[in-house]
Amino acid sequence: MWNPISNYDQLTRRAFLGGSATGIGGLALAQLLQKQALATTVNEEGLPNETFFPAKAKNMICLFQHGGPSQMDLFDYKPALNKWHGKPYPGGDLEVHFDKQKGNVLGAPYQFAPQGECGMELSELLPHTGGIADEITLIRSMKTESVDHEAALRLIHSGKFLANMPVMGSWVVYALGTENENLPAYVVLSDPGGLPVDGERNWSSEWLPAVFQGTPFRSGPAAVSNLNTPEGIPFAARSKQLDLLKQLNERHLQQDPFNTELTARIQNFETAARMQLAVPEVLDISKETKETHELYGLNNPATAEYGKRCLLARRLIERGVRFVQLFLSGQPWDTHSKNAETLKGLCARTDQPSAALVTDLKRRGLLDETIVMWGGEFGRLPISQGADGRDHNRHAFSLWFAGGGFKSGYVHGATDEFGYSAVDNIVNVHDLHATLFSLFGINHHRLTLPHEGRQASLTDAEVTHAKIVPELLA
Amino acid sequence: MLLSRPLKNLAQPLIRFLVVLVIVSGIVITVQASEPVSFAEIQDVLKNQCVKCHGPVTREGGLDLSRPVSILAGGDSGPVLIKGKLDESLIWERVVSGEMPPETPLDDEARQKLQHWLEAGALGLPDQVEPEDLIHWSFRKLKKTSKILTDVSAEGKLTSEDSNLNPLDQLLLPQLRAADLEFSPEADIPTLLRRVSLTLTGLPPTWDEQERFLKSQDPEVYSQIVEHYLNSPHYGERWGKFWLDAAGYADSNGYFNADTPRPLAYRYRDYVVRAFNQDKPFDQFVREQIAGDELSGFAEGKTVTPEMIELLEATHYLRNAQDGTDSSDGNPDELRTDRYSALEGTMQIVSTSLLGLTIQCAKCHSHKFEPITQDEYYQFQSFFYPAFNVEEWQKPATRVIEAALPNELAAWEERKQTEETEIALLEEDFRDWFRENRPRGEVLFYDDFEGSNLDLKTRWSDTAPDDDVPGSSLPIKIGEPDQSPSFYSQNGQLLIDATQAAAEDSWNSTQDVFEWAPENTGEWIQVTFDLVNDRLSPDATPALRIGYGIALHDYNDNSVVEGGNIVFEGALPGGGAAVYYDLPGTDSTPLKKVGNQEYQPGHNYGLRLTRLSADEVQVQHLVDGVPEGDQIELKPDQLPAGGFGFVYYNNRSFIVDNVLIEKSPSYSSDYDQLWKAFQDEETKRRTELDQQVKACQASIGEKPGQIAWVADYSGNAPDVHLLERGNHTTPGHTVTPAPFSVLREDTEFIEESSETEAPPFDVVAPNDQSTGRRTAWANWVTQPDSHAQSLMARVQVNRFWQHYFGKGIVATTDNLGMSGSPPSHPELLDYLAAYLVEHDWHVKELHRLILHSRAFKQSSLHNETTHLIDPANKLYWRFSRQRLNAEAVRDAMLQVAGVLDESMQGPYIPSIRTPSGETVVAETEPGARRRSIYLFQRRTQIPSMLQVFDAPKIVFNCTRRNVSTTPLQSLALMNSDFIRARSVELAKEVLERPAVESQIDFAFKRVYSREPSADEIELFRQFLDQQQALYTESESPLLQAWTDCCQMLLASSEFLYIQ
Repeated sequence: MWNPISNYDQLTRRAFLGGSATGIGGLALAQLLQKQALATTVNEEGLPNETFFPAKAKNMICLFQHGGPSQMDLFDYKPALNKWHGKPYPGGDLEVHFDKQKGNVLGAPYQFAPQGECGMELSELLPHTGGIADEITLIRSMKTESVDHEAALRLIHSGKFLANMPVMGSWVVYALGTENENLPAYVVLSDPGGLPVDGERNWSSEWLPAVFQGTPFRSGPAAVSNLNTPEGIPFAARSKQLDLLKQLNERHLQQDPFNTELTARIQNFETAARMQLAVPEVLDISKETKETHELYGLNNPATAEYGKRCLLARRLIERGVRFVQLFLSGQPWDTHSKNAETLKGLCARTDQPSAALVTDLKRRGLLDETIVMWGGEFGRLPISQGADGRDHNRHAFSLWFAGGGFKSGYVHGATDEFGYSAVDNIVNVHDLHATLFSLFGINHHRLTLPHEGRQASLTDAEVTHAKIVPELLA
Repeated sequence: MLLSRPLKNLAQPLIRFLVVLVIVSGIVITVQASEPVSFAEIQDVLKNQCVKCHGPVTREGGLDLSRPVSILAGGDSGPVLIKGKLDESLIWERVVSGEMPPETPLDDEARQKLQHWLEAGALGLPDQVEPEDLIHWSFRKLKKTSKILTDVSAEGKLTSEDSNLNPLDQLLLPQLRAADLEFSPEADIPTLLRRVSLTLTGLPPTWDEQERFLKSQDPEVYSQIVEHYLNSPHYGERWGKFWLDAAGYADSNGYFNADTPRPLAYRYRDYVVRAFNQDKPFDQFVREQIAGDELSGFAEGKTVTPEMIELLEATHYLRNAQDGTDSSDGNPDELRTDRYSALEGTMQIVSTSLLGLTIQCAKCHSHKFEPITQDEYYQFQSFFYPAFNVEEWQKPATRVIEAALPNELAAWEERKQTEETEIALLEEDFRDWFRENRPRGEVLFYDDFEGSNLDLKTRWSDTAPDDDVPGSSLPIKIGEPDQSPSFYSQNGQLLIDATQAAAEDSWNSTQDVFEWAPENTGEWIQVTFDLVNDRLSPDATPALRIGYGIALHDYNDNSVVEGGNIVFEGALPGGGAAVYYDLPGTDSTPLKKVGNQEYQPGHNYGLRLTRLSADEVQVQHLVDGVPEGDQIELKPDQLPAGGFGFVYYNNRSFIVDNVLIEKSPSYSSDYDQLWKAFQDEETKRRTELDQQVKACQASIGEKPGQIAWVADYSGNAPDVHLLERGNHTTPGHTVTPAPFSVLREDTEFIEESSETEAPPFDVVAPNDQSTGRRTAWANWVTQPDSHAQSLMARVQVNRFWQHYFGKGIVATTDNLGMSGSPPSHPELLDYLAAYLVEHDWHVKELHRLILHSRAFKQSSLHNETTHLIDPANKLYWRFSRQRLNAEAVRDAMLQVAGVLDESMQGPYIPSIRTPSGETVVAETEPGARRRSIYLFQRRTQIPSMLQVFDAPKIVFNCTRRNVSTTPLQSLALMNSDFIRARSVELAKEVLERPAVESQIDFAFKRVYSREPSADEIELFRQFLDQQQALYTESESPLLQAWTDCCQMLLASSEFLYIQ
């Protein structure tokens, strides 16, 4: 019988000892190997056969847009807004976060036009996204459960609006491990301008072991802690040092030759030494072609910084990193004032690099196995806040996905006349998680771990009734 | 399935009978073809369709169908089945009649299984049930240790010879023998010395300890080793830390990103360390932490005793949970959420650390997996609620009591006075030096007031430059004293006599105009004056403020010149000078203040204005010429050209001298050099001063007697409501304190439906300030020979065992409830628990028992045959090698490097986040080499060296750490500044030995606590030779080679593991 609790140690222990950069062997692989080698002991190991199934996606790049991008100005065309601009909102009650600054209907000043063969309507602020319209699934009917930034962030990252649950990237890496033993399995490319709102919680594994949390790559030569050999130790001296260590450790291993922890420790020094080379290599974009630099907008000051991180995301995925996440400093999409003006600036910064990433992945044959996600934690209201801002809205927001088994050139769901609330084919965050897991070949009901007396999972389907959204899948 | 559904609705008996027949005949075929139905299969059926109502918690009809014993025990209607007799089995009758399950009937397959299982004699059920059997194993009362051993012997699992063995070994042997295994031989003394030392103190044996014990010929040397380390103060640091993890200790509030510090939490940490070192009975330790305030007899105004202080410190246990309420804002609902989070966190810590129960599911609904109802959750909450009243919340910062020993406070006050005098002297010295040595700027204006009063009028005026209206509603007279002037010189000083001035703003000004916004970035202008006295005569009232203004240009509010007229009013309460913009007039705007120091006669005050950028001028406050305290930035256009003057109203008379206005000199390389040299010297002196001041402040220390504690708000217990769905916006009925029903002592509790009224609970208020509820709970959980005490003891010894052997006898150390793992060695666990209780809860007695067992003393060496039988060492055939925990890795490195700072107790050692994102303790920080337990345990800022070795991020608490083996650890061991620094320190000590053999010998003993073998000596010799050759450029190739060598010793597995 599947006895989850007694398996916690076995699973995590196994997962720790893979000799990879994060020490993650990956459950799915471990399970498959177990099944082949020791078919009769599958039950004793306690791993149900159904936890994993063939996957469409191997990797994911999440371009997270903190603050809640305005769906009706970017992705969800609502002519009624301009018609009613400046007049009282005719659609009934609205849930408003900043009650005292509640205004009238605020028009959406930017033009929308059909894009690509699919004819997806997108804002003129997103010309490059328009160029990849035929590659993406646009969900216009997202809903979430809180209008508080932190709570909504935790919900979309970890499935619970209270703190202390592992984020999706941690679950994925826990389940699938990594394919490059010289790089961390879950890399965060944070904004050089500073941390996003809710800080490191955005990529925290919380009670899952620390090896499953996102590893922030810093800019500059010390991208990872302790990556550089101390000054004054020449290469030859370091090699000799590691030789000596190996001899000491191998002598020690004689006392306990089947101890996987000791063996892993010996291997890890070799991995660490390779990692010292692998990390600078992946961060070095000088050998990318001029055309690639231009594709990502590295030649333009507005796009150069975000473009570089998008390019790094591709390089990381290319080298077998499982999960890459990009964040923006603070929460720039939180357009409580000067909505239209702010959006223009942000799109100028992110539109081209985001689209370039999809284009680049596709031409390299990586898009099929890589999910790209673009979006934030909630949406915005059809009415104004103060003179020219938009307030938080949990009843509707838009996200787009590309690759990894998502449909291409597809629009899912719809909102009401004013874009206030999703009305058609509603997708909640839990459904989204269930769907993403299914693309990774993970049964969201089954990937659970005992925590605080119950079986915890990303979707907690028993409570949330999370279900896969089949219409999104290619 | 096809038949049963449509027919179920037809109530005629005849038809029902037919159904049975059809099904029975159907089964015959199945049964013949199948294996006997196992209990596991039946359990699946019961779990899916019956246990929701007939579970361990819900127990409808007094029936629990979740476990074999409870199935056999039956319910209110008697036995639920008779083995082998289908027709007499109530369960079958109810199923067949369609009565049960009430909503979805069992399908055919399930019915067939049930029938066959009953007919075949109900496989998997016991023969008979004792009342105690119905209780979950961990909730049962402990037997006596002697009874546990006798019972095991009676089962014939032990021989008579075994009775001489350590009882723990007796309890491990039956499972070993069943697998044809034995214990491994005892490890040798050097191995055991290191093992005991690391296990008990988290530090390897010192050189002296090795000398003492390894050269001893005494046959009792092992006992001496055990006693030595049990008596070491370092024991409390390691074992106290284990408890601190379980108790959720942290030096920060958590909850919000700000994660603000808890500066007084350390007193609880120190209390815990002392309690372990003193071997305080664990039950007493628990009572003190739950209700120390009530037990102490402390009351404000009463003479404080050391015992009281100890008990007050202990209550911080209940404050370890995250608590963001110091920083929370928002509407009342949001505030309540934050407050409940702190209270619920506390409950979670108490329940997991003491009772091994996960209760938080019951916050919203009765627990599905544990016998804890939602009512019981809130009954439990009501013990703590009087101290955490959500409606009258006390924020963490305010939950501080002053309870100092009488002499302690006096000593501190004396020390404070001495040190503060010293600080004042040091600062004065610095200012004197500064004033004397500061390179002067270009002097724009200087008045030493040595001339006549007539002369005064050539430089000062009662109107601002270019203004035709005097700066006062009454004219300001400048001149001889006998003409009743308000502004005159006398004895070379300037007297400002406000008794003659208007009640409101009055000012004078220089005749000269100055540019107050320097033109180029980096340029400055400054004005300073000596404050000779704050009154004109000794018997006059001191001036409330010392006022002066810059950029003075116009008395008229409607002036065409914008900006200017900026007034500074010194001698604020709290120090510095208030700044008002555009005085005089009614539209004066207060700006932020500048400076921090209070105005004192005998010092020089003033301002410096420096151009920072195109649109910023910085205004600094000068005391004795030195910029200090707060500063402000103004825009250049706020600072038009204008005069400087003094501002004075009624009661603001004062005496000044030496008004000096300077600006930065025009560039010359000489001046530039002079200035640079001065600045270098200033930085040096200022750093010195800061260090000296810091040292003085450190020697003052915190005001004694500040304790972050927990106490009830009053003797009247507030109403505590059950919260529907756990939501505080939907409070339900009120609840009163009651223990968890499964742990009640009333004999029939197991039969009692948990929905009924809780039995009265004996609560006695100790005084009118406290409800006594926590004392009642503390007494309940430690009540001798009770279910609660038995569970509490099991939870503790299980964790202790884990700290010895790397895993608990129950793997889920925070959960010994029904959803936890079963114990691998139930009798062993009970024996340890009973032993602790029988030895008056002295934990050190339990240590002795374990330390003298073969299970602990045996070798950790691999054994080819045994390994095949039990590779995971589940049966304890050898000692399992364990990696040092994070703290021990760091502490052991400090120890073997010879630099460990062994001082104990006190406020945490702060850590910093480096620009590259590492959390480190700066090597220069006093206390940087103290043990890890004393470092800042901030939830969001765990020292990187500890985090990489699995130091937990405390969210609630941590009863079990992960042990990971990652390349990030390898990188830390290869490249971190910390390990390199320790390697250099060790290498230097090594090189104090004369010959290479003795050097290698020393290094091995220090790091591994053993002598090197002959081939290890050879290996090291070769390495040192070759490595030196690679450092020919270096000043000391040998030191470099040894540093590299020492680093690899510290990075090696032998160092990092308890063998």
